Amino acid sequence: MSKKRPGGVLAIYQYLDDLCDAIVKIKDRNDCEGYDVFSPTSYHEIEHAEGRPKSPVRFFTLVGGMTGTMTGFGMALLADYDWPIVVGGKTAGIYSLPAYVIFGFELTILFGGIMTIVGMLFMGRLPSPTQRIFDKRFTNDRFGIFIPNASLDGDQAKILKGCGAEELRTIEPGT
Amino acid sequence: MSNVQWNKTISDVNEGILANLEDPKPAYYFAWFLSIICLLIGAGCWTWQVIEGMGLSGLNSPVYWGVYITDFVFWVGIGHAGTLISAILFLFRAKWRNTVNRSAEAMTVFAVITAGLFPLIHVGRIWFAAYWMLPLPNTNNLWVNFRSPLLWDVFAISTYLTISLLFWYMGLVPDLGSIRDRVKGFKRFVYTILSFGWRGTSRQWFHYEAGYAFLAALSTPLVLSVHSIVSWDFAMSIQPGWHTTIFPPYFVAGAILSGCAMVYTLLVPVRWMFRLEEFIRPQHLEACVKLTLLTSTLVFYAYALEFFVAWYSGNPYEWAIFEKRAVGPYAFYFWTMTACNCFFPLIWWSKKMRNNIPVSMVIAVLINVGMWFERYNIIVSSLVEDFLPGSWGHYEPSLVEIGITIGSFGWFFFWFLIFCKFFPIVSISELKLIMPKPLNPNKKS
Repeated sequence: MSKKRPGGVLAIYQYLDDLCDAIVKIKDRNDCEGYDVFSPTSYHEIEHAEGRPKSPVRFFTLVGGMTGTMTGFGMALLADYDWPIVVGGKTAGIYSLPAYVIFGFELTILFGGIMTIVGMLFMGRLPSPTQRIFDKRFTNDRFGIFIPNASLDGDQAKILKGCGAEELRTIEPGT
Repeated sequence: MSNVQWNKTISDVNEGILANLEDPKPAYYFAWFLSIICLLIGAGCWTWQVIEGMGLSGLNSPVYWGVYITDFVFWVGIGHAGTLISAILFLFRAKWRNTVNRSAEAMTVFAVITAGLFPLIHVGRIWFAAYWMLPLPNTNNLWVNFRSPLLWDVFAISTYLTISLLFWYMGLVPDLGSIRDRVKGFKRFVYTILSFGWRGTSRQWFHYEAGYAFLAALSTPLVLSVHSIVSWDFAMSIQPGWHTTIFPPYFVAGAILSGCAMVYTLLVPVRWMFRLEEFIRPQHLEACVKLTLLTSTLVFYAYALEFFVAWYSGNPYEWAIFEKRAVGPYAFYFWTMTACNCFFPLIWWSKKMRNNIPVSMVIAVLINVGMWFERYNIIVSSLVEDFLPGSWGHYEPSLVEIGITIGSFGWFFFWFLIFCKFFPIVSISELKLIMPKPLNPNKKS
């Protein structure tokens, strides 16, 4: 990595409500910018405490879905105009559109689904297999808050501790 | 599901699920060995058929769709419960799904892959199959027929497989992160790559949740469309017994019935082999049984309605086929199907029987048998007697067809059991969500 990753303070919590209290206290502070919250699963309490705006993943889904609809209808129609096959006396092309709804529908879902995954990965900054894993317990049963460029004797650490952190430690830059 | 009694907390989940995967009961290896034997039987039969030709199957005029298409529809149907549980029950916020969704999704993926083999087996000369099934440019400048239900099916099944695979893998990513943080050395490297470097940050969870909800919303119409489109393979023809408008809902209900029964059939042994009784509670199994009972009554209604429509239509050819199904040469298949799908599940109206795991397991296996017979009954009994009485015939599956069918079960279980060993068979992160939240006991809310 050319850009050095910042050091900071990591607080580990056992309880969800303690974590949420800490998030509410630090989220609007200037000296806590760029903080990260770690959780073993997707508790909605954390989402409410952070108060994030709606996820832009929906736009990925929309664009993917619309591209799929056009591709589905377009593919069937182009093949028809390229080489019209008359089946059961039905003229090829736009007159056979009801049969092509299937392709429009299926590809809407296919492209929409693929783009949803792309959106989720892109917005979640994934894949990033070289990322730092601060504590192995974050995928088990512990919660955490990392505040970059903070130190153990600073105000931020006091707030984290005051909210019930069971452990506080320094993270060295670039590790 | 609020009555579920948890003896564990979220701190026990990783250890409880992952440690057991590392050390399953010996029965696991026996099951795996058995599935390899079945797989080899199927592979041998298919190789023989490819070398010798389609004459080895029982297919002949007028029955050109037989056991292979039966197997195809059966396996696609099995897949449906996985998507129902992972997507539709997610949207309905049915909490019990969190314990069974992973195995149901894995079942979907492997069942659809198994189903995908059958059109290839059925066409005989598999090396031409790509040109028959996909709109590929070729030297004759001809495209595939976009008005054919068979091509609709190709698109439906491919979309279904891709979306199920993505949905399943997306759910696995956080759990693979859990495994990564548990293992060392080369294993850790592999799981780091597989988990995309998942860290469980709130940002990742937030977008993950949004993406998951959208995929569930996309999968819901997809699962209903796929078996509707499979039913159009039949209903779009003019064959008596096939040409009916109730086919799409009838097929979807049947698919979900067979799928739910298969979820139960898989869940009970897996729960025992991997010692997951503390996480997959009896109440979760009972919920699965209730869903199976519901779909069984839907299927019962569809069978009755199918007969009513045939009679009420006043079409003598349509009615003749239905009469023959019940009392003709295929009556055995018809009555086995009716008994297994409609009558045996009625025992589940008793709560005691729903909670009796051995009894429920037997019923679930019988439903699987019944659903296979249903497809056989629909396909074969309509084809044996077509429009020209001079070409009427009879069809019984050949040994090669039976061998390939056994092989498909071997293939399915082979992959499913491998999955059980190397990936968490219960969704770790989603299981934690339905367990009591880790709240500070000293704090007043």
